[in-house]
Amino acid sequence: MGTIVTIDLYVDAGVPVDRLTAHVGRARSALQRADEVFSTWKADSPMSRLRRGEVTSDQVPPEVAGVLDACRTARELTDGWFDPWALPGGVDPTGYVKGWAAERALDALRMPDVAAAVVNAAGDIASFGAPAPDAPFRFAVVDPADTTRYACVVEHTGAVATSGTYERGQHLFDPRSGRAASAAASATVTGPELGLADALATAVAVAGHDMLARIDALDGFEALVIGHDGARRWTCGFPFAQEGSVALTDR
Amino acid sequence: MKRAVLVGGATVVGLVGVLSFHTSPTKLTLGASSVGTASRSATAVTPAGASPPTTGPPPPTPTTAPAAQGPTTTPPTTAVPTTTAPATTRSATGPAVDYSFGLISVTVTATGTKLTNVSIASLDDGGSPRSQSIDQQSIPILEQQALQAQSANIQGVSGASYTSSGFQQSLQAALGKLGFK
Repeated sequence: MGTIVTIDLYVDAGVPVDRLTAHVGRARSALQRADEVFSTWKADSPMSRLRRGEVTSDQVPPEVAGVLDACRTARELTDGWFDPWALPGGVDPTGYVKGWAAERALDALRMPDVAAAVVNAAGDIASFGAPAPDAPFRFAVVDPADTTRYACVVEHTGAVATSGTYERGQHLFDPRSGRAASAAASATVTGPELGLADALATAVAVAGHDMLARIDALDGFEALVIGHDGARRWTCGFPFAQEGSVALTDR
Repeated sequence: MKRAVLVGGATVVGLVGVLSFHTSPTKLTLGASSVGTASRSATAVTPAGASPPTTGPPPPTPTTAPAAQGPTTTPPTTAVPTTTAPATTRSATGPAVDYSFGLISVTVTATGTKLTNVSIASLDDGGSPRSQSIDQQSIPILEQQALQAQSANIQGVSGASYTSSGFQQSLQAALGKLGFK
C-alpha cells in the first residue's frame, strides 16, 4: 500500500449519513480509478504499458492524454526542473498524478449538501469551501528540520503541495549524474489546482529559490522554500496565516 | 470495536472512519455517543511503573496516543548539513514510492460548532481480520490528530509525504507493525 489519503467533509446537520457515504464512495472510486490507470507499480496499468511501448497514447484511457499534456505545461513552466520524461524507465507523471487524483476525488465531493471539503493525499492538500462562515482553511506546513513540528501556517482554500528531500524513500535526482540533489529542504506551493501545485513544488524543491521568480509570475500560485540551513524565502503573496490567533504549542 | 458518532451541538454531526481502499463495498455505520465523554477504549494503555498487587489485571486507563509537537512559528535554529546541487541540475521525482492509494480516513465536521469529542465509527469493510487490526491501531492516532487539528485550529498538515508529520509517522509505524509496507 502506498499513499494515505484523508477526506474531511463539512456539512450541515441533518444530512443523511447514507448520502455522505455515497459521496465518499465516489471520491474513493476516483482515487481507485487514478491508481488503476496511472500506477507505475501495477505492471498492467495503462501507464505501465505506455512506458514499455506496448500501447500507444491513443490506446489508453483519455485521462492519460490530459495528464501528459498538463505535465508538458508544467515542464515548460518550470523550465525543465519538473520533467516526467527525464526519468529512466519512461515517462512518469507520478509527481503530477498524485495531486490530480486528489482533485478528482475532491470533485466527487462538490455536492449541494457539502459546504466544504479537504482531501489530503500524503501531505498534498486539495480543498474547497470554508470550515466556518468567517474562517478560511488553515493548513500547517511541516518543518523539514524537525518533522514533528510545523514551520508555519497558511490560510488558503484550494491546493497546498509540499515537496522535499526529507521524504522517506523519495528521491529527487539529476538524471545526468544519477545523484540525489536538491537545493532546498522543502518547498510549499499554494494555488488553485493540486496537480500543477504538486509539480511546481517538486521543481522548487529541486531548484531552490531560483524558481521563486517563475512561481511569482504565475497567477494564483505562491511558493515558500526552506533551505537546508533553515533559511526561508517566499513569493510576496504567499498566504501566511494572519497570526496572533493560535497558540501553536498549546495542547 | 468502537462505535460512536460525534455530536457537538445544534449543527454538528460528526463521523470518522477508516476505509480500506481495496475492499468494497464499504459501509459507514454509526452508533450514538454523547458530547464531552472521552471515548478512548481503543487506546487504552495500562500505565507504566509499579502498581500495587491486585487480584486481577488493572483496568485500562485511557491515554493519548503519541502526539506531534506543537507547531512553531520561529525558523529552526538547528543547522542541517547542506548538499549542493549542480547549477544545471534538472530532475524529476523518482518513482521510489508506491503511490497506489491505500487507506482512507474520513472525517465529517458540521459547520459552525467547535467539536468537543471525536470518536470513530466502525466500518463494515468485508470484515477481514487485517482490516480490523488496522482500525484498532490507526483509529486512536486519527482521533488524536483530529483533536490536535482542532485545538490549533488547523484543518490539515502539508508535508512531503505521509511520513513527514507526527500523525502520519505514527500511523505508518502502526501499519508497519501490522505488516503493511
